[in-house]
Amino acid sequence: MTAFWKLGNWMGKAMPPPGGIDCCGVMQQLYEYIDGELDEESVEKVRQHLDKCKRCYPRYNFERAFMRFVGDQARVAAPPELRRKIFASILEEESES
Amino acid sequence: MATDGSPKRQQFESEALVHLDTLYNVALRLCGNASDAEDLVQDTVTKAFRAWDKYEPGTNCRAWLVTIMRNTFINKFRRESRRPSAVQFDTIEDVSVFESVQDQDPEGSFFHSVVDDEVKRAIQDLPEEFRIPVVLSDVEGMSYAEIANILDLPVGTVKSRLFRGRRRLQQRLYEYALEMGYIR
Repeated sequence: MTAFWKLGNWMGKAMPPPGGIDCCGVMQQLYEYIDGELDEESVEKVRQHLDKCKRCYPRYNFERAFMRFVGDQARVAAPPELRRKIFASILEEESES
Repeated sequence: MATDGSPKRQQFESEALVHLDTLYNVALRLCGNASDAEDLVQDTVTKAFRAWDKYEPGTNCRAWLVTIMRNTFINKFRRESRRPSAVQFDTIEDVSVFESVQDQDPEGSFFHSVVDDEVKRAIQDLPEEFRIPVVLSDVEGMSYAEIANILDLPVGTVKSRLFRGRRRLQQRLYEYALEMGYIR
């Protein structure tokens, strides 16, 4: 991937990328950012970069949409019959001990 | 549900059995079918009840239960060794689906056209090493540290498996959407 923002050199000028982190750095930490696994300082850097970078923000948006979709679709509740059996088996286990 | 009875059972019901949905979800992803999943949940809960005095109140009960489930699965239900090796798909996750869809669907709306069953099948078809971290993180919302603890892996390995698992799942859903004509 070509970095849009590069540390210390942007469009031929000495200009740091937003948040002081370039696109590659943001992409490497993107899942950790979405998962809430980064420390405060890194979160702030990534957030500032995403606020300004037209290249990274849509990627971030896409990954976040994907992860929300998976989370929403894939969760199922335990069947009531299993729940009933489990409670019964605990009672039984207790009476045996 | 019964709330009277011994303090042990009361405490077990209020601290452990509130995680039954989590246990069932993880069991379904481990076993791939409802019948084995129910057996696995049942075995896990029974073992957990017998070992309840080893559980330290106030610590992470959900992670403790999922760890018992993982060990029970490995001992009793394991069939992963018969599954195809993960290595053969090694290059898939190098490219993000975003590269392919950024011009026509940058927000990933096409994901919502994939039917539930296909999503579940796509998750199930992930090799176990990727499937379990993805389920624990994206479905159950667990932290990398919790997952590392449950799977007995370094946090860095959890991170890379999540990355690769998500990329593979994304790719699979994208291919399905392409086949069905939801996206060009």
